[in-house]
Amino acid sequence: MENNNLSSGERKLQCSDVSKCFQLLESILDGELGEEGKELLKQKLDKCQPCFEHFHLEQAIREVLKTKCTKQPLPEKLADSIRQMIHDVR
Amino acid sequence: MSEVQRRKYTQEEKTAIFDGEFMPHIDSMYNFAFRLTFDEDDAKDLVQDTYMKAFRFINSFEQGTNAKAWLFRILKNSFINEYRKKSKQPAKVDYQEVETFYNSDDVDYQSTTDLRAESVKDMLGDEISNALNALAVDFRTVIILADLEGFTYEEMAKILDIPIGTVRSRLHRARNLLKDKLRGYAQSMGYNTDEEEE
Ligand SMILES: [Zn+2]
Repeated sequence: MENNNLSSGERKLQCSDVSKCFQLLESILDGELGEEGKELLKQKLDKCQPCFEHFHLEQAIREVLKTKCTKQPLPEKLADSIRQMIHDVR
Repeated sequence: MSEVQRRKYTQEEKTAIFDGEFMPHIDSMYNFAFRLTFDEDDAKDLVQDTYMKAFRFINSFEQGTNAKAWLFRILKNSFINEYRKKSKQPAKVDYQEVETFYNSDDVDYQSTTDLRAESVKDMLGDEISNALNALAVDFRTVIILADLEGFTYEEMAKILDIPIGTVRSRLHRARNLLKDKLRGYAQSMGYNTDEEEE
């Protein structure tokens, strides 16, 4: 870990096809590839530094959106008033 | 979401579908409505309106299929219609601009970003929310659907009536715009956005 440059030297510093790679990573992160995506992901991240960095940033963004976005509390009577409206038109 | 009219549901079936499959999504629906309108009353109206329509058209809903996506589609369409009616400003112009400039499925992936995953993780909920809210409505919408609500590309394509390729490219652009906003916060908060230089 301490020698970041050398250990990551095993990864390519240039991605051979950024568009394809990033699109693939985004599909994996968005859950579009299921199990199949996991093996592909491991290969990419081991081999390619730009992919590695891109993946972690994208993952962080999805994670904070999912977990930290404040939820607007549902107004207390909304559900009841909707049920009432439906009851009335029936 | 087919147009085929199935046999009509009985009153009991309607009630069962409405209570069992529609109402459980009310929290998500209200959140979506609020993030579209930024107004509690408008959000309430939009959700009420959506549920009324859902009940009226309940025969075109196939029991056991994705009720949440079906409801979100109605809500989004109501929002577009209401929004255009309400604001004298032609939302159309804005929308068409977005369509023209951002609808091509051709996406530039070459963005080099100095935003670091760690600084994103350190951000507060308010900062994330504000950054999201600052995006144009089309971009905000895809992020809400994908990241907050967990819809798949295919579900989003149906909700938004756009091809999957467009979902993908719009989502990519939306997240890039979001990164720009977050980078702004990161810099103003003094988070390190540069490479580590120890
Ligand atoms: Zn790569």
